[in-house]
Amino acid sequence: MTGQRDTIVHLDKITKRFGKTVAVDRLDMEIMAGEFVTFLGPSGCGKSTTLRMLGGFETPDEGRIVLAGEDVTGRPPNRRDVNMVFQDYALFPHMTVSQNIAFGLELKGKTRAEIDRRTGELLDFLQLSGFGDRTPEQLSGGQRQRVALARALAPDPKLLLLDEPLGALDAKLRAQVQVELKEIQKRTGKTFFFVTHDQDEALTMSDRIVVMNAGRVEQAGTPEDLYFRPVSRFVAEFIGETNLLRGTVRGADADAIVIDWNGMELRGCATGHRPAPGEPVMASLRLESVQCHAERPAAANAIPGRIVSRLFKGSRTALDIRVGERDDALIKAYVDGADRESLSQEQLWISWDEKRLNVLKDGA
Amino acid sequence: MTRHTRILMSVLYWAFVVYLFVPLVLMVMMGFKDSRFIGFPINAWTTEWYLGVFQNAQVLTVFAYSMAIAISSTLLSLVIGTWVAVFLGPARFRGKLIVFALTCLPAVIPGIISAISLRIFARLLSIEPGMLAIILGHTVHNVPFVALVVMARLSTQPRSHVEAARDLGADALVAFFRVTLPYLKPALIGAGIFCMLLSFDDFVRAFFLGGYQPTLPVLIFAMLRSGMSPEINAISTIVLILTAVLGLWAERSMRRLNKGV
Repeated sequence: MTGQRDTIVHLDKITKRFGKTVAVDRLDMEIMAGEFVTFLGPSGCGKSTTLRMLGGFETPDEGRIVLAGEDVTGRPPNRRDVNMVFQDYALFPHMTVSQNIAFGLELKGKTRAEIDRRTGELLDFLQLSGFGDRTPEQLSGGQRQRVALARALAPDPKLLLLDEPLGALDAKLRAQVQVELKEIQKRTGKTFFFVTHDQDEALTMSDRIVVMNAGRVEQAGTPEDLYFRPVSRFVAEFIGETNLLRGTVRGADADAIVIDWNGMELRGCATGHRPAPGEPVMASLRLESVQCHAERPAAANAIPGRIVSRLFKGSRTALDIRVGERDDALIKAYVDGADRESLSQEQLWISWDEKRLNVLKDGA
Repeated sequence: MTRHTRILMSVLYWAFVVYLFVPLVLMVMMGFKDSRFIGFPINAWTTEWYLGVFQNAQVLTVFAYSMAIAISSTLLSLVIGTWVAVFLGPARFRGKLIVFALTCLPAVIPGIISAISLRIFARLLSIEPGMLAIILGHTVHNVPFVALVVMARLSTQPRSHVEAARDLGADALVAFFRVTLPYLKPALIGAGIFCMLLSFDDFVRAFFLGGYQPTLPVLIFAMLRSGMSPEINAISTIVLILTAVLGLWAERSMRRLNKGV
């Protein structure tokens, strides 16, 4: 998807320290034009610092930031073609909605006619027509968010930074705005650099997610990549729910890695690394990747188990399944509400696609 | 609270209000008395003292002089005070507390001491006693109030406001004038009116730093020395009404501006 596009931003091994803390550690990353890239991670992982360095509010201690072929590392925010949607929106309270949107255009020296035309366009585009003369305090949270977006889009930046802009919205509105935001990104073709700690937001909107932890990139890839093929324990646990299985590598063939888990043979795969036989490893298996059967299935990965608890959650049911000889060998699984009938008895078989059992590079 | 203490409290409160307002009411009443002698009984009423004030060229000149001093010193105080607040507020350096204390000092130094020292200093700089000296004296005294009020307001401004302005293409100066200054508006109006009242009301500094032309409080003082007259009451009443209206208006507009920001 991002194959033929041009690089719009190159973060060239940037490092930022605050005192003794290393906020961002030799981050090396390219962002493609028109991409919706999300930096995801817990607070303090360096994602916001990265965003602020792109915006020009922090200067990296080492490395370069190249924007559209130009080195902008030391440039102040007002001298780079990057605009930002702030977490608290930062709308100017003494200006109307239109004046807020026009602010960046005025400073770019556009004529009054151009400013009015562009402001009108953006008001229409973001369904704010009729709100131009209101002040920010007369708007709802969702409307303020759209004004902030319109204001940042107005000067036609090469890169749009979004700093957790959905954090202040309630859950229902947030889900709606996620869809809208993605739609706006597609229609404008702008490069969006989105920062969040919310995995749902990241999965819903992004073309690519960069998971950060302690100033470094844990993994970068499409939402599907990260969800189904996490490389590290951190990513596996941070995004979605998962079974983490500790075992030993028994061997590998062309398609799969076989690990020994509590005396059972599990077939799985690994991304980006190749664990050697005898090596202790940790593997991740998503709850919904576990298939449950009343009878023994034909699949290669099949083990018998016993249901020890059921939690009905509406659209699905969460099962705790004890497998093998030992008491602590538990596997959690989600099954569809419809499957509940066929799994009424305690005994069952579980199986999984071996591409869904991911041997991680760490955690063992 | 028992019923008795509640009654006691309200009686005390109203006694205080009476204590506060009776002298003012007396002063206003005497301004309408048709006699040179101040005191009861009042046998006849007149507005001639008030008419006299508005026809008295000297009073009008002095009033304009005091206003000019108040406005000039207020403008100066606002500029310097804001400047101090903007640079001192967010800055972090060794000895900041000392600088801050020095900034606030003129507000708490007794008026007479600062008046005398300013008089000496003005002579040293060869500034003639008069309008300029008084303006400078009032400015020194008022800057701390402006700085404190502006600093308080500044600390409530989200950092993201200025950052958003910078992000949208404003350099530091443009961001200050287009985003920070409007945000400070309520503080500046409040501090400004406070400064105007302080300056207009000041006697000690105006007395020591003034030349031949008196300010209004100095004029009233001079008139008192040649005997109490209802004309003084009339002048005082006019000043009272003007300052009260100004003060109340400032309070109201500040509250309105502060709302929801």
